[in-house]
Amino acid sequence: MSSSECLRVRGLGASWGADPVLTDVDLDVADGEFVVLMGPNGSGKTTLLRCLVGLEAPTHGTVSLRGRNLRGVPTHRRGVGMLFQEPALFPHRSVWENVAYGLAVLRRPRADIDRRVEEMLRLLHLESLADRAPQALSGGERQRVALARTLAPEPPLVLLDEPFASVDAEIRRDLRSAFRRALSATRTAAIHVTHDREEGLLLADRVVLLSGGRVVQHGSPPEVYGAPASADSARFLGYNVLVESGRAMAIAPIDVEIRPLGESNRTGTVTLSGFAGGSHLVEVELEGGERLEGRLPLGAIPPAVGTRVGLRWRRSVALPGAPV
Amino acid sequence: MSDRSAGVVPLLPVVAFVAAFAIVPAALLLATGTSAAGGIGGLAKLAADPLNQQAFSNSLLQGGLSAGVAVALGAPAGVFLGRYTFRGRSELLALLIVPFLLPTLAVVLGVETIFGTGGILASVLPGTQVLGSGLGGIVTANVLYNAPVVTLLTAVGVESSAPALEETVATLGGGPLRAFRDAWGRSALLGAAAGAVLTFLFSALAFAAPLLLCGARCYTVEARIWSLDQVLLTPAAAAGVAFLLVALLALPAAAYLALVARLRAARRSAERPARRVPWRNPWVWPAVGATVALSVAVVGLLGAVLDAAARPVTPGAGEFSAFAQLFGPAVTGRLGVSTLAATGNTVFFATVATALALLFAIGTGFGLSERPGAARWLRALVFAPLVVSPVVLSFALAQFWRPVFGGTSTVGVLILLAQATLAIPFALPAVEVALRRVPRSLRESAETLGQTPWSAYLDVELPLVRDGLVTAGLFAFALSFGEFTATYFLATPTFTTLPVELYRLDEIREPALAAAVAGLLVVVSLVSFLVIVRGGRRVEF
Repeated sequence: MSSSECLRVRGLGASWGADPVLTDVDLDVADGEFVVLMGPNGSGKTTLLRCLVGLEAPTHGTVSLRGRNLRGVPTHRRGVGMLFQEPALFPHRSVWENVAYGLAVLRRPRADIDRRVEEMLRLLHLESLADRAPQALSGGERQRVALARTLAPEPPLVLLDEPFASVDAEIRRDLRSAFRRALSATRTAAIHVTHDREEGLLLADRVVLLSGGRVVQHGSPPEVYGAPASADSARFLGYNVLVESGRAMAIAPIDVEIRPLGESNRTGTVTLSGFAGGSHLVEVELEGGERLEGRLPLGAIPPAVGTRVGLRWRRSVALPGAPV
Repeated sequence: MSDRSAGVVPLLPVVAFVAAFAIVPAALLLATGTSAAGGIGGLAKLAADPLNQQAFSNSLLQGGLSAGVAVALGAPAGVFLGRYTFRGRSELLALLIVPFLLPTLAVVLGVETIFGTGGILASVLPGTQVLGSGLGGIVTANVLYNAPVVTLLTAVGVESSAPALEETVATLGGGPLRAFRDAWGRSALLGAAAGAVLTFLFSALAFAAPLLLCGARCYTVEARIWSLDQVLLTPAAAAGVAFLLVALLALPAAAYLALVARLRAARRSAERPARRVPWRNPWVWPAVGATVALSVAVVGLLGAVLDAAARPVTPGAGEFSAFAQLFGPAVTGRLGVSTLAATGNTVFFATVATALALLFAIGTGFGLSERPGAARWLRALVFAPLVVSPVVLSFALAQFWRPVFGGTSTVGVLILLAQATLAIPFALPAVEVALRRVPRSLRESAETLGQTPWSAYLDVELPLVRDGLVTAGLFAFALSFGEFTATYFLATPTFTTLPVELYRLDEIREPALAAAVAGLLVVVSLVSFLVIVRGGRRVEF
């Protein structure tokens, strides 16, 4: 174990009946590291978190936290915090009591509890809400209380299972910076599950891509985004995946150019075209039936639906492995 | 995938209790009864006995008729109460359960007071006397007792259908009939069918109504078993007939459990939006009519019993004079036991039986949340004593546990065990349904914060299902307080409860005093009702 290692997972497997959900998952998380776990629906992200926290039993493999093997250790003795999609605040307790809950369970002295709760409320800007009932809070406030409650007992590792999924975009922006700041301030390691690739790439120290229950790629956000390891990874990261000369290629939408028919790599028919906020989005069906998405700068004139267009790309990434 | 084998342990006490004090004694009784009757041949002879045949056909006829009328009245009311929101809806839903909380004897007394000879309606509507005695009276009592259950189960069925489904049918051009067929009708019918089967079972097993309203020619199998054992002193024949009864009712009991399981599975999805009553839609009128009729019947029944209880015991005596006599030495002299002692016994048994049922419900709630797969089997197990029937249950208890317990405490212990066994199947669902509404993530959060699963359950989930616990407790208390059949079988002349005293007073032709006891029982049911209503609570099956 390295001195800064927080979590070590080796060969972890889990299944529902005969169907494998996780297969030979290896994962390391360093102390204070923020790891983002991404992958399509059904890839096993939530199951992995539930195995780590002990809410599900893996079929094989090992999980150790700071060198301590967690095999057979029940959830309440693992010392791993978890935040669920819904904040799961105890409705019969005030904000203060919710945050103090884990400390009281650990039988910390009263003065320590008071001090730590005050600290957590301050860290997440919840001081004025201490006496409120959870029902009187907004969605964003509830998630902040849930994080304060999770961080209060000072777990070395916190698992975040899409905690921003049920709040709107503006609150989501506030929450993600509040969460990142709080986790950094407490130097707590975290594994954050999200569907939002932009959010994942923005927050992560390291990204882990899960597909079909296996870790298919991991690395820093620029490494992973810059060199997707497979067609699945590329698609999940938002690339178009095309086969060129028998090789699978990943092409980022911003690298796609709409060109006159004669000056292009491929041709196709526009199936969708419109304003998409910071750019124009154009979707083209290629002659082989593949679809390709392009993003044009706002100054450009997007082609109309039904127009035949030529396509060229500034840059493409060759994907390893067999053509897809 | 989850490895939470600890969930089995909290299920063991209730399994052990029901097995020890209901299933095993009943199985032994049925087995010994079968062999004492002469095996299959002996059972065939018992089945061919004209009096037994009459009892079986009475059970089927009374059960079938009661179920039919209860569904005709209760199902439309359930549709109305399940589909529409209006002021007083939850109070109405709670009110309708009151007759179910009453001892059957009080319902029977209410039927006699309203429809019987010299009853309230006798002079106004002479034709209604047919509903006051004989088969008509029995069916009326059964319907008053069970139609509200049909209403509640139908309402649960209606509430279980996904609202989006009905809205989708409407947006696709479907009218009310299509919405019924494709959206909410199936689950409503499921609820009504569950109610019908339960009514059939309870009516086929009815004891007090045939005994008091008709006599031997209307005896159900339940009454026939009692008569064979306690009057004719032929316990072997009684056990043999009990075997035939259980065999006959096993199929409808299994059907009820299957229907309720499907209803529960559907119930997970739903949270219905408020929907106002479409008064101008003629389709809604029959449902409104049934709801009004049922409510009037329930209020009329309670009013009639309370009115009878308040009447002077003799001409010239003051109102409520029956209560003074009830607790006086005259009654003690005639019955051999004081009403105060009977009241003390009733309160004691109901309290302890309720505490036991609640303890089991709390343990089981935890066990089932850890092992949800066990729910179906456990429900079947705790429901079995109801199908075995209170008379057979108490018969079996007396046969197999009386020698074990011995001594003077036997009667009390056996009554207590019988009442707890009969209260468990009603307490358990109230707690279980309430627990299912608590998001699982709350307990999991507490566990990630260091609580053991059991502590997390006690500390986080149970406080959130306080209403469910109160409802379960009141329901169990009221049912035990009014329990008659099993208690009557086990009680001795000097060790009795209020419902048994009510029966004895009716038997010795003291209608005013019997009405006073019924009034006391109604008050307990009404208090339970008021507490249930206060929290916006609701009884669950």
